Amino acid sequence: MMGLVLGIETSCDETAASVVDEEFHVLSSVIESSIDQHRAFGGVVPELAGRAHVATIGPVVRRALSDAGLDPHDPKILGIAVTSGPGLIGSLLVGLSAAKAYALAWGVPFVGVNHLEGHLFAPLLESSDLEWPLTTLLVSGGHSLIVLQSGPGEHVVLGETIDDAAGEAYDKVARWLGLGYPGGPEIDHLAQTGTAGSLKLPRSMTGDDYDLSFSGLKTAVVRATEKQRDLPVADVAASFQAAVAEQLLRKLRRALEHHPVKGLALAGGVAANSALRSGVTELAQEFGVEVHLPTMAMCTDNAAMIAAAGTYRLRHDGPSTWDLSASPNWQLADVS
Amino acid sequence: MSWQRYCATAEDTIAAGEAFAAVLRPSDIVLLSGTLGAGKTTFVQGVAKGLGVRERVTSPTFTMVREHTSSNALGIETLHHCDVYRVESLDEVLDLALGELVEDSAVALVEWGELAASVFGRDVMTVDFRVDDDDGRTLTVDGELAATRGAQLDRWAS
Repeated sequence: MMGLVLGIETSCDETAASVVDEEFHVLSSVIESSIDQHRAFGGVVPELAGRAHVATIGPVVRRALSDAGLDPHDPKILGIAVTSGPGLIGSLLVGLSAAKAYALAWGVPFVGVNHLEGHLFAPLLESSDLEWPLTTLLVSGGHSLIVLQSGPGEHVVLGETIDDAAGEAYDKVARWLGLGYPGGPEIDHLAQTGTAGSLKLPRSMTGDDYDLSFSGLKTAVVRATEKQRDLPVADVAASFQAAVAEQLLRKLRRALEHHPVKGLALAGGVAANSALRSGVTELAQEFGVEVHLPTMAMCTDNAAMIAAAGTYRLRHDGPSTWDLSASPNWQLADVS
Repeated sequence: MSWQRYCATAEDTIAAGEAFAAVLRPSDIVLLSGTLGAGKTTFVQGVAKGLGVRERVTSPTFTMVREHTSSNALGIETLHHCDVYRVESLDEVLDLALGELVEDSAVALVEWGELAASVFGRDVMTVDFRVDDDDGRTLTVDGELAATRGAQLDRWAS
């Protein structure tokens, strides 16, 4: 039997568990989202998320194990990988406590995994022919960064947001425009019927670096729509979406020019965005590099990517110790 | 008591935050209120600069609380940068236990703090951010403060 790793992910909205083998084949992946509860509130409600994780973690883990053909009471796995940061503290603790309990019960090691490093492992679960080095744009509700990877588990953060995450700006603009949560799909959908450029937005972050910023764009949309209340929402959505994509693609282009790579990957929830997917595909073609676009299931938070990153970390760093605690602000740059 | 300061640009808002840092004392909780894009995070970036925080200060909306180590002559060793934008009930703000977080040589600045004002009672300072017609921002500080700190804010406002 090949070494199987159970991944557990509870850093934000999703309660997820997955079993992955050492060659990164996904044997099972179960995701229970509390997003419907959040939709009613227009944002993530931390305690709601925490409570939902407490109620769902047991059933989700059992289903992931039985879907993988394992005995949920004695699964004979190599170890457990669990997201220990960054994220909402209450939510992280649910997953971490569960992982420790299972590890103790089954007599297997466990390892704390950085959620962002998990996202970086997502392309390995979908393409077995991945070539390094690789530039990854990781964009989600809580994070926005451009990462250069020389191999699995080896990464340099080229730049990241200096204020809001891209997905956060999407959520806040959507809420401001009276659209639903999460804001990304809503704005993306509306943008298809609007005219980009009908709302003039500032071209931001024109410096010679890879850092990103979305707070100024968010503010520009808010102020402009306050002044011109008759602007069609679809035009606002299209203009905002185009401005976000323009900045991300400009910074990615700069990264490709200065750091030659073999592939370009998208990761994180905002990787589901249509403007970004087409823009990144064109950019990769222009530079003659492979493009790795995650499937929709792999864009959003899932436990398979945590299991994959954990497989690597168990092999290279060994297991975590029992005193491991949750790290709500754990930076990717501090993972080594 | 109440003090006002006008900020024409984002740089002015950072400078206002940096100068405001000198007024802070350990255990202070400051609630920041104002609409989307009014300059709350920008102001906290200035406060962090004034408190000697070295790392980058970004929006805490996702994790609710970001903790920054600070180094200054005020005895403030930690800045808790909080955001209750996503919170919908006061119980959830109580669970953050900000009162306990600031006990130990720390201060807390809370974005969207007006949503949770009743949890903190009157023993807090507030900073309101108003967007003016010329796109500048008017900052209004409110608080019941001792004379020394009042005098500091008189200078901050002038």
